[in-house]
Amino acid sequence: MASILAFILAGGRVDELSVLTYDRPKSALPFAGNFRVIDFALSNLMHARIWQVGILSQYRSASLITHIGNGSSWDMHGHRRQVALLPPSKGQQDSDWYKGTADAVAHNLEFIYENNPDLVMIVSGDHIYRMDYKGMIKFHQDQEADVSVGFIKVPLNEAHRFGCGTIKTIKGHPGGRLIDYQEKPAQPQSQWASLTIYLFKTKVLLEVLKGTHPHTGREPIEFGRDILPSLVHQYRVFGYAFSGYWGYTRTLDEYWRTHMDLFGPDSRIDLKSWQIRTNLEHERIQQRQPALVGPGAKVDQVLLTYGCVVEGTVKRSVLFPGVHIEEGAVVEDSILCFDTVVEAGAVLKKVLADKRVRVGEKARIGGGAKAGPNKAFPHLLSSGLTVIGRNTHLPPKIRVGMNCILDPYLEEDYFKSLEIPSGATLS
Amino acid sequence: MSKTLVMLLAGGVGSRLNALVEARAKPAVPFGGNYRIIDFTLSNIMNSGLERVGVLTQYKPLSLMSHIGSGKAWDLEGRNRGIKILPPHTGEKDSDWYKGTADALRQNLDYLTRYDPEEILIVSGDHIYYMDYAPMIAFHKQRQADLTVAMMEVPLEQAVHFGIAQVDGRGRIIDWQEKPKAPKSNLASLGIYVFRTDYLLKALRNPQTMDFGQDLIPGAIKKDRVFAYPFSGYWRDVGTLAFYFSAHMDLLNPRSVLNPEAWGIQTNLEEEGQQGDRPPVIIQKGARVRQSILGADTIIEGRVEESVLFPGVRVGKGARVINSIIMHDCQIGANAYLERVIMDKKGRVGEKARVDGRAALPNREFSGHLKEGLTLVGKGASIPPKIRIRGNTIIRPWVTEADYKGPVVGQGETVRKK
Repeated sequence: MASILAFILAGGRVDELSVLTYDRPKSALPFAGNFRVIDFALSNLMHARIWQVGILSQYRSASLITHIGNGSSWDMHGHRRQVALLPPSKGQQDSDWYKGTADAVAHNLEFIYENNPDLVMIVSGDHIYRMDYKGMIKFHQDQEADVSVGFIKVPLNEAHRFGCGTIKTIKGHPGGRLIDYQEKPAQPQSQWASLTIYLFKTKVLLEVLKGTHPHTGREPIEFGRDILPSLVHQYRVFGYAFSGYWGYTRTLDEYWRTHMDLFGPDSRIDLKSWQIRTNLEHERIQQRQPALVGPGAKVDQVLLTYGCVVEGTVKRSVLFPGVHIEEGAVVEDSILCFDTVVEAGAVLKKVLADKRVRVGEKARIGGGAKAGPNKAFPHLLSSGLTVIGRNTHLPPKIRVGMNCILDPYLEEDYFKSLEIPSGATLS
Repeated sequence: MSKTLVMLLAGGVGSRLNALVEARAKPAVPFGGNYRIIDFTLSNIMNSGLERVGVLTQYKPLSLMSHIGSGKAWDLEGRNRGIKILPPHTGEKDSDWYKGTADALRQNLDYLTRYDPEEILIVSGDHIYYMDYAPMIAFHKQRQADLTVAMMEVPLEQAVHFGIAQVDGRGRIIDWQEKPKAPKSNLASLGIYVFRTDYLLKALRNPQTMDFGQDLIPGAIKKDRVFAYPFSGYWRDVGTLAFYFSAHMDLLNPRSVLNPEAWGIQTNLEEEGQQGDRPPVIIQKGARVRQSILGADTIIEGRVEESVLFPGVRVGKGARVINSIIMHDCQIGANAYLERVIMDKKGRVGEKARVDGRAALPNREFSGHLKEGLTLVGKGASIPPKIRIRGNTIIRPWVTEADYKGPVVGQGETVRKK
């Protein structure tokens, strides 16, 4: 088998996720109780037996560093295996930050030289999916491709949000020659959306990146926008078709909706058969006891996990480790992260609470009549979700409307008024 | 660095647990939806700041050994820390198996002295409790004791199962009865000992000494400094199916004293053959769950009440699980009914099967093991659809649907492989 090195594009902070990404990259976002979004890419690499992995992260996030640890959670720790966090280092010039995905890889050519792989795989770390990369690698080798790009079929009216490829499918094969690629085209001609999974012959990747490095301009250089469109005419570039579930978490609404995809007998997120690995030491998951459902609890369509204690009513919600729902509290359509406490009699409807949030007794968060979007960030929040940053403590009996954004670390005495109208942002 | 060496006696057969110890030692029996019995002792060791542990095994140690692994789960992996499994070794003579607690130590004299400990703490891996051993060790030193025994007051009628002591005002043991018919006190030994190392080594030189309670303590109290360290709190021997079951029911009360997380109990979540980590619990639409513990990776479509479910359990639509303990990866078919059932790993219950553990008559073959109205289903056993299984029955491990003689299994019966 060819030797393969992989980069995970772990991303930087993204404004679309508001308070959730104030101090973590989106790849470190908690997902489905036990996991982080990056676990999906890491587990896919593990199952494909790719043991040399570099994580390109825009900044040194404590959360990501803790989560990756020494890589042993994904068997990426040993003499011939490693997972290295590769944040931008201070260079000779002041071009410290990665300017785009291609620039991030170009800053880390040393990592490629050191390991001298036959192929370099570049995957995005912020998607929820299980893919057998081995299938793509085999296809790449069978076709003697220089570059292969993973694609999934999406409805034509959504294709404009993605990189779109035109694939000349070879009969009986999972893909074919990629003859055209356009990044987020206004009038998409194809339903094939890029998964941002790239497989390069190392030689080809180095040739391509030579033209971009050192990068002195201010504009970022992205594989999708700046490299692929011309690449398809210069090299043997193939499109590989993937047909499983592909969830993304780029916006608050997407993050919420992808979580809701966990429920139902026909859920396409089958965490069990996907065999996802995570770091169970992160947030002390391993040290917590199994979930406890109390005598008066009512639970219907709920995901819960280690350390959860449910004594109230929970419907259509995802509870992360250590969440405690006290007696008489009602939680619906919500996502509550690590160690969040909902005190007795509080009511939460469509709330996304980051970790260690406390909601005081008899508080009412979210829900109510239809309201306009968030006033400060209408483009981010209009679906009715209310978002609470980590460690914020809401006083008893407070009323918070929908489409609200509450910053992290707000203490009870911060709240002068116990009426927070819909669409408000508190910081 | 801790100057105390811990010797953990994990050889217990626990035969009264019947099918649960068919293929594992008692300390390795799963407990509480996440744990194994030995986790309580291992975690107490870790939480007491102790760093060197020898584990004495002999009976079916395989699942115990893989559970302990490197000891990492209990912070026992490091340069000045460590946990060693010490199985009986066939010596030059035919000494092979351990003949008691003292004998087990005698066969590992080299390990007892390797780290030059000041004192040796001896614990067993059989009990559910929380204890900080550090104050006991401090008590032992402060009294300049040769031997200190942890003791707890028990109801007098239970005293027959224990070593029973009488003590003076400073806690010195002045009288000892081993499992007495007529106990003179209700102060019972928990089988937790701190020995001054030299004293223990000297005592082990007597080849007649096989067991501490039986052979050593009765003589020692006459001439040596033997003290009782008072313990109070939750402590359960879960060596019978009835005790095992009731300790699980203690877990279900959110305000119970038995609180593994508050006690800092750790386990090793790595399981052989698991390619991914166990995902969270999913409670599907229409399911009902109350007063229960749900291990990771359980999926509930039916009803679960007052039960402990271990990881990977599936409860199908319309199924009801009441007052039961269901271990890893059991599958409960649609519309099945289970009440007062202890089910070992990987069992399967067919659709519309009805298993009701309640019964008046004890199990005919194992009347000593099963008489409280429970039904025990061994590892990997299958229960056919629509069958009626009554109480105090034992379905032996790996029984298949073809092994049942008819549509009903009567009270106290045992179903085994043909």
